[in-house]
Amino acid sequence: MTSSISKISDRTEQPPVIISHPGDVAGSQLRLTRDLKQILHLTIDSDRTWSRVKVVRAAPLTHPDRYISFLDEKGVEICMIDDPGSFNEETLNIINEELDRRYLTSTILSVRSIRNEFGTSYWDVETDRGEREFVVQNAEEHVRRLGSHRLLILDVDGNRFEIPRLEKLDRKSLGMIERTL
Amino acid sequence: MSTQMLEPVDVQIAGRINEVLDDDEEVLIRATTDLDENRRFGRQCVVVTNRRLWVLPESDGQIFQVPVEQIVKCRTEPLVGGGHLEVERRGEPMLYIGYTDSQAVKFSEITRGLEQLRQGNPFLINPQLDKLRCDNCGRLLPEKNSICPACIRKRETLKRIAVYLLPYKLKAAVIALAFAAMAGTQLLPPLVTRHLVDDVLVPVDGTASMDDRVSLLGLLVLALIGLRLLNWSAEWVHGWTAAWLGAQVVADIRGHLYRCLEMLSMQFYDKREVGTLLSRASRDVGLLHDFLIDGLPYIIINGLLVFGILGFLLWMSVPLTLYVLIPVPFLIAWGFIFWPRMRTFFSKWSQVWASLTDRTVETLTGIRVVKAFAQEKREMSNFARPNLRLREVAQQTEIKSGVFIATITFLTGLGMLIVWLLGGQQVLDGRITLGTLLAFYAYMWLLYGPLVRFGQIYVEMTRAFASAERIFEVIDTESESFEAPDAVRLPQMQGHIRFRDVTFGYDKSKPVLHGINLDVKPGEMIGLVGKSGVGKTTTINLIARFYDPDQGTIEIDDVDVNRLNLHDLRSQIGIVLQEPMLFSGTIAENISYGRHDATFAQIVDAARSANAHNFILGKDDGYDTSVGEKGAGLSVGECQRISIARALLHNPRILILDEATASVDVATEQQIQQALGKLTEGRTTIAIAHRLSTLRNADRLVVLDQGRIVEQGTHTELMSKRGVFYDLVQLQQAMDAIIATRE
Repeated sequence: MTSSISKISDRTEQPPVIISHPGDVAGSQLRLTRDLKQILHLTIDSDRTWSRVKVVRAAPLTHPDRYISFLDEKGVEICMIDDPGSFNEETLNIINEELDRRYLTSTILSVRSIRNEFGTSYWDVETDRGEREFVVQNAEEHVRRLGSHRLLILDVDGNRFEIPRLEKLDRKSLGMIERTL
Repeated sequence: MSTQMLEPVDVQIAGRINEVLDDDEEVLIRATTDLDENRRFGRQCVVVTNRRLWVLPESDGQIFQVPVEQIVKCRTEPLVGGGHLEVERRGEPMLYIGYTDSQAVKFSEITRGLEQLRQGNPFLINPQLDKLRCDNCGRLLPEKNSICPACIRKRETLKRIAVYLLPYKLKAAVIALAFAAMAGTQLLPPLVTRHLVDDVLVPVDGTASMDDRVSLLGLLVLALIGLRLLNWSAEWVHGWTAAWLGAQVVADIRGHLYRCLEMLSMQFYDKREVGTLLSRASRDVGLLHDFLIDGLPYIIINGLLVFGILGFLLWMSVPLTLYVLIPVPFLIAWGFIFWPRMRTFFSKWSQVWASLTDRTVETLTGIRVVKAFAQEKREMSNFARPNLRLREVAQQTEIKSGVFIATITFLTGLGMLIVWLLGGQQVLDGRITLGTLLAFYAYMWLLYGPLVRFGQIYVEMTRAFASAERIFEVIDTESESFEAPDAVRLPQMQGHIRFRDVTFGYDKSKPVLHGINLDVKPGEMIGLVGKSGVGKTTTINLIARFYDPDQGTIEIDDVDVNRLNLHDLRSQIGIVLQEPMLFSGTIAENISYGRHDATFAQIVDAARSANAHNFILGKDDGYDTSVGEKGAGLSVGECQRISIARALLHNPRILILDEATASVDVATEQQIQQALGKLTEGRTTIAIAHRLSTLRNADRLVVLDQGRIVEQGTHTELMSKRGVFYDLVQLQQAMDAIIATRE
């Protein structure tokens, strides 16, 4: 699949794409702190400060570890950092805490059972957050394949379950998933 | 005196709650989260009393208590895959209570309750808890508060299909008779041939004379011919009636489905893609049709046949019958292992089909964009993947059913061997006659034949049932009730609209409108202004009652729209949208869409008022010009004027203009503005326009920001106020200036 797409783009020579909004802030200029009330403050170059800052991933599925964006109280972006390697340690810890709090996606470690009935499947799984039962309707639509070995499953309520590497699952779990999809 | 939300909790937690509460503390809310304090799946119990908020972990852990007066603010923050309740406390760190999306609605109610307590307002929340599991079997429900699919299926589905047969009792009885005749005429020939062998060809006792044998031969052959003839006519009667009845029943179901699709609320359509619904209306109905015409009759005839054969076999030889039944348990066991899997394959097949259809519809509707970006090849390869997937699923399905059939054939072959081996021995021992053995052999084919094909039929049946389920799901979805018996009739509306504290979100946990209060007098023209996404279109969707508000009420002429007769409401609301939707048919038919009783003179008059008359006359076929899908062949401005004429003829009391002039050029806009001027005269009008200048003749402008009304007043008033509206106008003027200089 991907090969045929790249073949096409190889053939058509297009002008290069120019980035016109270069990021003007480096990770090392940022400092995140929490006050006594646990409210988050962001300081850039020790002269500009925002409070009640939100930390989000720009592309949580394709680039979970890069492109970290900081939003102000109203949801307007303050800045985006491409590479989290440049943060100081305290800031990085807070970023990780915030991301962990924000993204409630759980990772499926093994599948205990999946029952399929007329396009609805009932899952009973073991995740990194513990055991969970959930219902998926219309698996074709709500199970997204991200690449060939990665799955994102959305249950009827919009909860997210991820399988980062299908081939790492035990055979029994894998068999049950394959029968469902 | 106040509402309480009390979720059942286990005894242990209930005991701990009782332990910590003071005697005079009144529990207002008791609810559980589905995430524990470390955001793992687990539970915490949230208790709100008249004095405090309590958070109790499931096991031993820190219990939090927050006195109401210590709370600075409570709010829910939607996160990815869930959310948390943030409690800001005076002098203490923020308290977060996490939950997944399954509990989001409940927690937005809890937050509302906490805020009411904090501000000292009356405690009023919706105490209704969602039902997540089936009361009967304890399974999770696919949709909250809905019926459990596992508990209604199978027999119910068949019963429901049977209901559609009721109007055709006589034809059904004829078919039943034909079925019986067909079964009988297939059952008897082996018995006749048994006679033929035992009494004519190889006489057992050898006493009958040759003449008797010859005449018996003629008689028996005559009997066989008679049976054949009977069978032929029964087949003929059955084929004719069954085809008629099957097609009729399916037409009835299809009609019912279509009626239901038309009556369903907008909420239903928001959740589903049109392609999926198309597939239900065409493919699923088709599968059901095949089953009713081919599958069901086959099951009945062969069901009768199997029982008849078993009877004759037992009558002829009990031990041999028992022997040939040996493979049957294996056949059944194999079926039980196999069928559940096949079912999944078939429903997957139809899902993949639907998504492929969606994909095609999407690409073809957006073909201009595809071509403009020269992405034909990419779309082709994007299509290739689901296409490949469909192929895979289809192949897998066929392969699996192939394996199944082969196994069945093997097992039945074993049965035949048993007849030859054990039956042959019995013939040699003189326990049964040769005729009996041959009859056995013939019956074996008749018995195993249906068993083998029962496999295929079962697949068809399963497929048809899955289709029927999906059709019935649509039929069962609650439709908009036009004829609620206690609905208030309002045939002559004044057009007085009042929003009282309306809060609404397409997703209940994420409100788009917050506490909207608005009073629109009859005949007044209101302009709704604001950036995109602030809830302008949502506001008008609520007026037309495409959706019901989550909180608060909308009144028209002092009647709550929820209590209003829906037909009276909609027939007096006219809508002109940015993208005018015309249906295939002539221009005249489109103008009279809401008023089929309109005379041609009235149609022309409406077109004149809408500045459409002249361009219509310019067309070769004038008012008889046919309009293709989405108005192909007409420019957007022309379509828009036709849709204004349509609204004019509809003569609504309330007029809604949603960006009616956004997609036309300035000259056309003037013409349309003129037409709109006539249209809005004397009607309550709610207009949304991106170009603020087009709202200059509005009596009042209402400025929305983030789902709240932030400013109201005339154009001049708002300009002098220098608030949000002023900023918007400035911004637009700056934009216009840029465009002007570029031009």
